[in-house]
Amino acid sequence: MNKKLEAVLSKEPHRGLQYGITVIILLILLFSSTPALGGAHMTSKGFEIGRNILTGIFTPDTSLLFGLGDSGVMYLILQTIAIAFLGTLVGAIIAVPLSFISATNIVPKPVVVVTRFIIMAIRTVPSLVYGLMFIRVTGPGPFAGVMTLAIVSIGMISKLFIETIEDLDEGILESLDAFGSTLFQKIRYGVLPQLGPDFISILVYRFDMNLREATILGLVGAGGIGAPMIFALSAYHWHQVGAILIGLFVLVFVVEILSDKLRHKILRG
Amino acid sequence: MIKFEHVSKTYPNGVKGLKDINLEIQDGEFIGIIGMSGAGKSTFIRTINRLNDITEGKLTVDGIEISKLKGQELRHYRRKVGMIFQSYNLVPRISVIKNVMSSLVPDMPFVRVLFGLFSKEEKVRALEALDRVSMLDKAFVRTDQLSGGQQQRVSLARTLTQNPSVLLADEPVAALDPVTAHEVMDDFKRINEELGQTVLINIHHVDLALEYSKRIIGIRAGAVVYDGPASEITSDILDLIYSKEEAK
Amino acid sequence: MSWYDKLFEAESYTLTNGKKVSQKFTRLPLIIMLFLIAITISVWVTGFSVVTLFTNFTGFWKLFGSMFPPNWSYFPKIWQPLLMTIQMSFIGSFFGALVALPFAILAANNVTNNRVINLTIRFILTVVRTIPTLVSALIATYIFGLGTFAGTIAIFLFSFSFVGKQLFEYIETVNMGAYEALVATGANPSRAFVTTILPQILPTYLSTSLFAFEGNVRYAAILGYVGAGGIGMILNEKIGWREFQSVGMILLAIFIAVIIIETVSQQLRKYLS
Repeated sequence: MNKKLEAVLSKEPHRGLQYGITVIILLILLFSSTPALGGAHMTSKGFEIGRNILTGIFTPDTSLLFGLGDSGVMYLILQTIAIAFLGTLVGAIIAVPLSFISATNIVPKPVVVVTRFIIMAIRTVPSLVYGLMFIRVTGPGPFAGVMTLAIVSIGMISKLFIETIEDLDEGILESLDAFGSTLFQKIRYGVLPQLGPDFISILVYRFDMNLREATILGLVGAGGIGAPMIFALSAYHWHQVGAILIGLFVLVFVVEILSDKLRHKILRG
Repeated sequence: MIKFEHVSKTYPNGVKGLKDINLEIQDGEFIGIIGMSGAGKSTFIRTINRLNDITEGKLTVDGIEISKLKGQELRHYRRKVGMIFQSYNLVPRISVIKNVMSSLVPDMPFVRVLFGLFSKEEKVRALEALDRVSMLDKAFVRTDQLSGGQQQRVSLARTLTQNPSVLLADEPVAALDPVTAHEVMDDFKRINEELGQTVLINIHHVDLALEYSKRIIGIRAGAVVYDGPASEITSDILDLIYSKEEAK
Repeated sequence: MSWYDKLFEAESYTLTNGKKVSQKFTRLPLIIMLFLIAITISVWVTGFSVVTLFTNFTGFWKLFGSMFPPNWSYFPKIWQPLLMTIQMSFIGSFFGALVALPFAILAANNVTNNRVINLTIRFILTVVRTIPTLVSALIATYIFGLGTFAGTIAIFLFSFSFVGKQLFEYIETVNMGAYEALVATGANPSRAFVTTILPQILPTYLSTSLFAFEGNVRYAAILGYVGAGGIGMILNEKIGWREFQSVGMILLAIFIAVIIIETVSQQLRKYLS
């Protein structure tokens, strides 16, 4: 063979070894994690419960599903949406200033390190723990849910806000400078219209996520559709469980489609 | 009239941006500035509306020494000197007319600036500027729906709306295809002829510069190596402007 | 929206050269109205009150303060459940991502050219994704009994639906040229898939799976709340017993574990892209 070709061939990276090591590491991790599979003691009772839940979904309690009272699925859905909506809004109000003091093009590096550490710490505490903390402030109920979602939203909202702020097109600000704008005018006509659509789109996305999150707040008594479901489950009221699960599914599904459409319109026009 | 007297610019890191520039530009001229990238074309044009400061010499525009301007005086001066950039610098997700009207903002009272309230006269002014660059039908379209050439025209309309007496353009057609580049250059030419505004354009395409400008300024390594009519440019002069050796 | 344009007349402008342009009436008032109505309803339904928030906020800090200083002597007992939580997340994410691959391929309409299969698979992914992880964990504890296995199942379901959706959307954007060229020369479609499309989607697939794993570690910490094993169990227990300094220690341990895992995973993801 041509010497030149041989030289090139010998330069080809030996990926085989790399793949081998990766696979071995994965296998080791996998086998050392097998204890997580323990604790399963599936009995015929488990089977029966599974079958009952499925039956419940196909034969839901229609008076609960379509009932308009305070305990009906419709009202619970409205309450869940309200919790997610206000939670996102309050979270955004806290996240905006936090994001500006965490963007490398606005404040110096040491400040960024500190503020990002704070955001990270806020993000780590599980939502149910916040739920319990806020119940001390507001008492049990949907209000506690709003505040819980507000706090757990901060992490993701700020992370995405910061990215948007760091992507600001400074050329636009230079143009505004070039025709004699003041600092305030530059913020109003150069910064806000650039950030606005991205911020709104991020919030719509987060609202979608908060809605899912809001469905579990009922576990700690922070309102939403979650609490009645747990009661129904623990009381073995399968038709009620079915009705609530259907409501949950429709809610999340519809909101996801709408939020995708809205974000597409905001970002692409 | 714009007058450069022994103007030099040294960047803080010691690099010489401009070297002892002496020239006069009369009102209503159409000037093309050519030179290799990094030669100082941008620095030259940007010093005229003080996006770059000069470090030595005197730069006067209509008898005012502009390096002495501060704060409000400087902003007031910049109203007369419009600037167009290679990257259009338009806000993508708002309508074309909003982008155009943003150049009227510095003359508006605070409350109207805050809420973005534009009067009917101001809207008509923006629309007329858009009409001048044949973009009237796109006035209420979102800016990110336009092509590059269309965006550069909107950028030109934005600058026209502030009604400047001098138009500075920093590589306005560098990012455009040849046909679109010609269309945008035609707009500049028409505006220069119809409104009598002084036009200074940086172009790295020599053909375009020679085709549209009456006067050419050739810059190499921060120094003016040619200043004269476009018709008198010869290949020797181009070699001088574009040669790699250090200027003597 | 035509009713709106009928209700509010478009504004027209006449230029000095006689040309006329008209602009539809701004939609801003409508949007602001809807927004205010949404806020009002939400405040009413949830009982939100800024006054309560400010007067009672000390309760939040009091509880927060009672977690400090964390109970260091409790750490040896955290170690085991924390490891279990990570193991749950790892197994769940691994198998979830593994099962998601064939589903994503079947859901992508450029590779699997069958509308019925596409839509069926997508429907399955959507249904699974709709159920909140904590709810599926809860149901899993009813079926499989209390313990980590139920939690692993919940994490598996989440990873499966998340990776499945992200991946099929990505597959639909890949460059099909090489695949079509190979099929045109008579190659077996599955062979063509492995040699042309798989290398294109592999980095995104791995990176999405890692991302899901990162999130799962954080999420797994609360699964114990419904009895699905891991660190959430002792967290729930200590909250119930009001041993808040131990709660502080648990949160700190989760924080450190999450930082380490996220840092490693982000480095890996950076390497993949």
